[in-house]
Parts: sequence; structure tokens; C-alpha cells
Amino acid sequence: MKQCQALVQEINEVSSYFYCLTLEEPYLAQTAQPGQFLHLRVGNGIAPLLRRPFSVAGTSPATGTIRLLFRRVGAGTELLSCLRKGDWLDCLGPLGTPFSAVGKDPAVLLAGGAGVAPLLFLGESMLNAGKNVHLFYGAADAKALLPVDRFLSPGVLIHFATEDGSVGEHGNLSDVFKLALDKGLAPGELFACGPLPLLRVLANENRRWVLPMQVSLEENMACGVGACQGCAVLIKKDGETLYKRVCREGPVFNSSEVVW
Amino acid sequence: MSSLKTRIAKLELETPLLTASGTFGFGDEYASLMNLEGLGGLVVKTITLLPRSGNPPPRLVETPAGMLNAIGLQNPGLQHFLEKELPLLQNLHIPLILSIAGETEEEYAALAEALEGCTGIAALELNLSCPNVKKGGILFGTDIVLLGSLVEKVRAHWTGTLIAKLTPNVTDVVHLAHAAARGGADVIAAINTIRGMVIDITKRRPLLGNRFGGLSGPAVRPVAVKIVYDLYEAIKLPIIGMGGIMNTNDALQFIMAGASAVAVGTGNFVEPRTIPQITAGLKEYMEKSGIKDLHELVGAAHES
Repeated sequence: MKQCQALVQEINEVSSYFYCLTLEEPYLAQTAQPGQFLHLRVGNGIAPLLRRPFSVAGTSPATGTIRLLFRRVGAGTELLSCLRKGDWLDCLGPLGTPFSAVGKDPAVLLAGGAGVAPLLFLGESMLNAGKNVHLFYGAADAKALLPVDRFLSPGVLIHFATEDGSVGEHGNLSDVFKLALDKGLAPGELFACGPLPLLRVLANENRRWVLPMQVSLEENMACGVGACQGCAVLIKKDGETLYKRVCREGPVFNSSEVVW
Repeated sequence: MSSLKTRIAKLELETPLLTASGTFGFGDEYASLMNLEGLGGLVVKTITLLPRSGNPPPRLVETPAGMLNAIGLQNPGLQHFLEKELPLLQNLHIPLILSIAGETEEEYAALAEALEGCTGIAALELNLSCPNVKKGGILFGTDIVLLGSLVEKVRAHWTGTLIAKLTPNVTDVVHLAHAAARGGADVIAAINTIRGMVIDITKRRPLLGNRFGGLSGPAVRPVAVKIVYDLYEAIKLPIIGMGGIMNTNDALQFIMAGASAVAVGTGNFVEPRTIPQITAGLKEYMEKSGIKDLHELVGAAHES
């Protein structure tokens, strides 16, 4: 982990409110693993004050670039969306514990909304490792969907789900995934990221499926490096419960260890 | 050559820049981002006699020019600290200041007794004011009698430098500072966080798991500067000033108000190199202004 000044190579709005930010920073591009995040100083002033964490959505080690996808929702992402090519961005990273592939095929990625970012990176890296990868990606409607195929090499099987049925299957992500299971999909392992209610439902269903399942969690964060204990989540392990840090032991946790 | 050397009671510091307790862990998290030995001193996160699991999340939230936190003193406890953390900290060649808290006078006293004689602990800082703990700390820091008695009890077991870190959540911090001085404190640290709350309007409930938390960051700075200024007029003890210090000018305000040393807390989260940057900035300011000794600036804002 290092503090780096990354050069903005490209920033564009890829769908409404969703931005893709490509940064040039060889160290980050070469060391970041799927599931890890960068802690960005989005402004120079005191409002917004704290850094903002963003999952890495992809890297190109050869060109030394690293990609982030974010939704413009508040003051921090508003500032970030105003960056232009040639600007510098202060980054801490790569931070956090990455996903770890257990190895069973096929891997199924379950992404809700902006939670798709780390799973794109994971999907790409698993594909490169010769695995079969399915991505189930859900959002409210067509407008809220990211053009994920743009960020993935051909080979990842993408299943869209929208709650209004405008793209892909009609329904929420967990229902659409369940339908695929009924039709015979037999995942070797699951990786999920998205809104907490979705992760809760998936974790709950997985008590029946009993598949290895890793989740990437979010929590308000201050230091990002493990010092302040601010981003705690309750984890149960070996019969006891304790708080772990999203920024250090996480953001990726074993779903069965999270106290949902 | 200007000298940044300063002295807080018996404690000699190479620079006046300290970390604020709870914002720098046990130092290891920041070791890859900066040279820890450039710090004037390391104030590690508060430890308690027994491990504490801390408060339920969310534990923090950003507020205008600041943040609220309610960590709940999560820490691995004294024994773990002595076995696992202290040996690593002893290798750093900078003064180590240990923040302690307890739920009873006896717990504070037991901590002081266990730490007395441990090599490498330059000072103890009494956390009297963490507003996140349902019992304990809060009472000691807001009541003159309890505070005086507690400091006296700890003093009986601890011969090194003793720092009383005061809470601003009282009518007049000066009265509490007098009580700490009478009890035998060598140094006053001010301020700890100011209690605050954010309501989550979608849930119609307080946002933090603990309902309320402690406000820190630039938002509290003028409050903290005023308290340090008042303390400097009222008491003879050296003062460690803190509250929203982000840069050299902020640190200078506290020093001119009367602080012999200053601590950076929330600023570390924003810019991990805040302390090295201020250290360089102070030196530059002093050289430009022809000031040889930092003590010429301490309390400079007061009419003599």
C-alpha cells in the first residue's frame, strides 16, 4: 500500500450518473487485486472532508492504468465527476483484503447496482485464469444499468435483471438467479456485491444452497488503513462474535461469517 | 537554525507534533506511509484493562467540515498490548504516550500500576472524556470531585509524566483543569471531541449505532483554540492543544493560544502526511520569522 498521485487519463459518463474513471499509476495497476479498493482524496478543501473508498473495477498492468466506476450520488462523487484528463488524484491503495478464488467452476458473480465494480475486475481476472464465469447483474431499470460488456472480455456470460423488465429478465436479482438455479445452473462458488438488503437475501438463501460465498461489504470509512476502527462490521467466527474492519480484514468477507 | 524542540513537563520532544489518541492506531497502520520517527511523539489508541469490542455500526459519519465518531474504545486490552504491541513500539525511537481509560477509579489505577516501570512508555494520558462510552469516562471528565480524585489515584501509581485530556462537554473547562492539576496531573491536553448527533431522516432514527458521537475536525477548531487560550491564562501546566488541526497555520493558532505541543487527529485520515507536512511548515515559518526557539511562540497571542 502506498500514497500515490495518479494521473487522470480518461473520465466519462458511461450511463446516467455512472462514471468510468481511468487513472494512470503503474504501481496501483500492477498491485491491485480484485476486491481491493482505493481511498481517494476527492477535493482539496474541508468539505467534503474525508477520503472516499472506491473498489477497483479493473486494471491494465501493461499500460499502467487502473479503472474505477462510480455513481454520482453525493458531494464526494460530484467532485470526482468534475475531474478532467490531465488532473491529478491523491490515492491511498491498494487497500483491503481481495477476493480469493476457491477454485470450483463455474464462478457466479452476483452484482446489484454500483456493486458491479469489483465483480467486473474479479470476472475478468477469473476469465484470464481459465475459469467459467457467469455475471448476474441487476438494477431498477435499463437507465440504471451499466454497459458492463464494455468492461469485460467476451467469455463472461452476462445475465441482466431489471425490476421493470426493460432489459434482461424481469425481477430482482435474487429471483432471477434462483430461476437460473432451477433451470440447472450449478455454481461452484458465489461472489456478491451490492446493496445490503440484496446481500442479506442472498446470504439467507445460501443457507440452503450451501455454496462457498464471498461478499464485498461497505461501511462509512475514515482512515481506510485500519487505524480508526470506524468501519466495523460484526463477524462471527469459532462461536464468538467480534467487530472486524471493512478496510482491513474486508471489504471481502466470507458470507457465512457475517452477522446479517 | 530554528529549533522545534519542546518540553511538556518532564517530557522532552524533538518536535511539538503528536498524534491524537485513537486516530493512529498503534502506529503500524501508518508505518508504510511515513517515517514514524519524524513524529514528536506517538499517542496510541486508548487501552483498557480488559478487551473492549466497541460500539455497533455505523460508527462514524461525515459532518460539515468534520466527522462524528462513536467507536466505543474498541481495543485488545492491557495484556495483549503489553505482549503484542508494546515490544514493537519500543523499537521506535520516539516518545510513546499511552492513553488509558477505565470504568472505575480502580481500573485506571490498575492500568497505571501495571504500566509503571514498563520501558518505553514516556507518559500516560488519561482519557477522561470519550463521549462514546455509556459508563465510566464521561463521569470522570465532567465532575470536578470525581476528576480530582481519579487523577490523585493514578498519580499514586505512576511516577512518569501524567496527562489529563479534558472534555469540552462541560460549562467551564478551566475548573476541570484546576481539579486535574490539584490531583497531580503534569500536563493538560485539550480538547477531546464535542458530543453531537446526526439523524437519519429516512429511518427517522439517530444515524450512529451509539445514537450520538464525538465531533472532530476543522468544525471544532475555534472552540478548541478558545479553550486552550483560556487554559493558558488560568493554569501553569503545559498544554497539548488539539481540535481540527489540518495544516501549519492551524497548529500555529494553538501554539500561539498557549499550547506547548499539538496533536493531529482527524487530519491524519484526510492526509496521512499531515504531521510531517506541519513539521516542515513550522520550521519554515520560524526560520522566515527569525524565531530560534518554539517557546517564543507558545502563548504569543496573549498580551504580556
